[in-house]
Amino acid sequence: MRNLSLILVLCAAAWAQRTLEYDHSVVSQVRIDARDLGYAPVDLIPSEESAIGALSVGPEGAIYGATSGKRSHLFVLYPEHGYVQPLGFLPGMTTVHKAIVVSKNGDVYIGGGNGSGHLLRYTPHNDEEKPIRVDVACDVADLGIPVPGEGVYAMAIDRARNVIYGLSYPNGQFFSYDIATGKAIIHGKVAEHNIPGEKFEKEKNIGRELLATAAGFVFVSGESGALYLFNESSQKLDKLRLTAPTVPGREVYNRVDAWAEDSKGMVFGGTSDGYLFRLDPKTLTLQNLGKPLNQYRIRGVVCAPNGKLYGVGGDDDEMARLFSYNPSNGAYEMLGMIDVNRRPYYAWQAYVIDAMAIGADGTVYLGQSERKSKLYLYYPE
Amino acid sequence: MNRSLCVLLAVAGIASGRTIQVDHRVFPGLERMDGNWAALFAASDGKVYAGLAYHGGDGHLVYYDSKADRIHDVGNLTELCGESNLKRGPQSKIHAKFGEGKDGRIYFGTHAGFWWDYARFATKEGYPGAHWMAFDPRTNQVQDFGLGVPNEGVNTGAYDPQFNRIYGLTHPRGHFVYYDVRTARAVDKGRINNWESICRTLGIDDEGNVYGSFGAGQIFKYDPRTDAIQELSVRVPIREKGISLGRDYFKSETAWRTVVWDRKMRLFYGIDESATILFSFNPRAGKDGEIHALGQLCIPGFEKRRDIPYATLSLTLGHDRKLYYGAAGKEFDYGGSAGAATAHLITYELDSGRKEDLGEMLLEDGGRVLGTNAADTGPDGTIYLVGAIEVKPAAGKALEAAGDIGGVPYRLALLIYHPR
Repeated sequence: MRNLSLILVLCAAAWAQRTLEYDHSVVSQVRIDARDLGYAPVDLIPSEESAIGALSVGPEGAIYGATSGKRSHLFVLYPEHGYVQPLGFLPGMTTVHKAIVVSKNGDVYIGGGNGSGHLLRYTPHNDEEKPIRVDVACDVADLGIPVPGEGVYAMAIDRARNVIYGLSYPNGQFFSYDIATGKAIIHGKVAEHNIPGEKFEKEKNIGRELLATAAGFVFVSGESGALYLFNESSQKLDKLRLTAPTVPGREVYNRVDAWAEDSKGMVFGGTSDGYLFRLDPKTLTLQNLGKPLNQYRIRGVVCAPNGKLYGVGGDDDEMARLFSYNPSNGAYEMLGMIDVNRRPYYAWQAYVIDAMAIGADGTVYLGQSERKSKLYLYYPE
Repeated sequence: MNRSLCVLLAVAGIASGRTIQVDHRVFPGLERMDGNWAALFAASDGKVYAGLAYHGGDGHLVYYDSKADRIHDVGNLTELCGESNLKRGPQSKIHAKFGEGKDGRIYFGTHAGFWWDYARFATKEGYPGAHWMAFDPRTNQVQDFGLGVPNEGVNTGAYDPQFNRIYGLTHPRGHFVYYDVRTARAVDKGRINNWESICRTLGIDDEGNVYGSFGAGQIFKYDPRTDAIQELSVRVPIREKGISLGRDYFKSETAWRTVVWDRKMRLFYGIDESATILFSFNPRAGKDGEIHALGQLCIPGFEKRRDIPYATLSLTLGHDRKLYYGAAGKEFDYGGSAGAATAHLITYELDSGRKEDLGEMLLEDGGRVLGTNAADTGPDGTIYLVGAIEVKPAAGKALEAAGDIGGVPYRLALLIYHPR
């Protein structure tokens, strides 16, 4: 005869019930919360339009995000208010990859992905006092298409120099956009050939995120997992003798999914094969820090004020998990799956996280990227 | 007779020990099968199909040939999926409703058993995923349409003969998926709900629209003509929270538990999870349909109690225009039940709104029906349920049981009731 408590735990799928043991698998419930993308249940960025692909924190601390789906939406969260305020849909856009940045004057720039390629500018103005905007177009200025015929795959900003950097899709052209002059320049490309694969695989290996450092360097990965560096002073895009770390033989499939810079100027990256690495931008030396999760894809990394790096990993068909890395002792901590359980009021688990940002107060923001998505807030110790 | 008097009489019926005898058939050689949820279908040719679950092992597809009065084991689901040598999570269940195609085949999807707190389930090393399948009663063969939902199971499902599609909601991601049989196309429409509150029944109307519940009693509609999901403004009547029932933190009470389609009136009847609230849902009325609460189908006396059992999936519409509901006497979920209690058979007459508790379900030998979680109506009006029956130890014979419910050994059985 079976042990009843074992059955209670293991039969849970039948009832779709949540067991006490499940809480062991997820992020500590006193350190995480979630926000609907608007005022539930009606004034929300709708299902099929809510997948968050990009987050960025403005100089005043506001968190901006862009979604993908049938329409793309822009939203903002002011930490002092705590709720997500939809700012309207982005005209002509259905996809925004990691392509949202905020300039030093607070203007928000959004790069349109597949089928768009437009660069839009949104200038905030008393948004806190305005009503929720879901079915109205966001009042944006169209700055044109930086790379003709291509979508924007990733963007980063050098706030000090007022320059936006970007990468195009599907051909991986690296461009800069000078905010003051409105001039876009293509500096080269990071991929020439498709990834080796089956006949139906027709994609180039292009890094999914860019990093613009305070020192004026821009990092991105490209074909065969190679790392590229754009130097602001020389205005040159160089292929480095470095590749995103992975097991030998898989370099062609591996790319950098996420970047972060710590307060000392050290650069960290996470790869699609799930490895974390440290890159010293001065010496251009790379150190593989291993694989924090037995999963693919490190989809987001941020450096927190407490000195730790927080990252999220997991492929589209896996369960997203949060981890931390302490550079001072090299220790990883597995923080669990991204889940919020505030039953009977609300409960929601994120399986796919595609964007990550760190707020001015150290709150880690995680953007869910599914048909029905929410913004998660993680509060580090 | 007014309804309150009926309820009083029904309560009196319990007090006087009212019982109802149901016929039953066990599944020979499959006594270890430990559960059945929703997977029961009475086909037009008199065969009654059931999916028997076996946590940690291979589930089975079986059918009862009502004309020959014989149970047939179609086979082990893992084997039927061609995965016996895979050494990954077994195909432990059919966890959703079957359907009959215009070609006479019986369509369904498979599901996993254990989910291991997602440490293995929904990972690349765990359960391979649900298969879409069809059983052909003419050849006695199962056709495997292949892996439909990698790493996930079909938690909830329904088949629509009009569009020849098998629909499902996956566990754990709660995605709305379907398999289009004609074009052999598997489609994933994305996430509907959170994993612990995935609704357990998809309702299909006579136009082929598919309905399910999500969120706090919300309803979605999938239209196969537009291939689009719409979230409706109507709400399923659900008892307000505020008093913990002891299961609040563990179980969802925000969705409909099951619905049945009434071809005559062209509307759904359903019950909610929280308090077995019976409701009608007319999807054609108004902009987003209309819902009316009709009372509660729990065993009389439980209506306002905190220990009202979680609603079961055993709801079917009889040919006599009565809803038949297998009500649990205690929180029932096979080995995970709160204790042993005898299940009741409750009816609700649609034309008069009269509810009647037919009493505790007992077998021919006096054995108790400890709970049910699937019901359907045969072409001749016979009511079928699948559930757990008490197994009485017999001296000198090995106990043929799947486990125990509150210390009472049980096994699965097909229950047969012939309405008068």
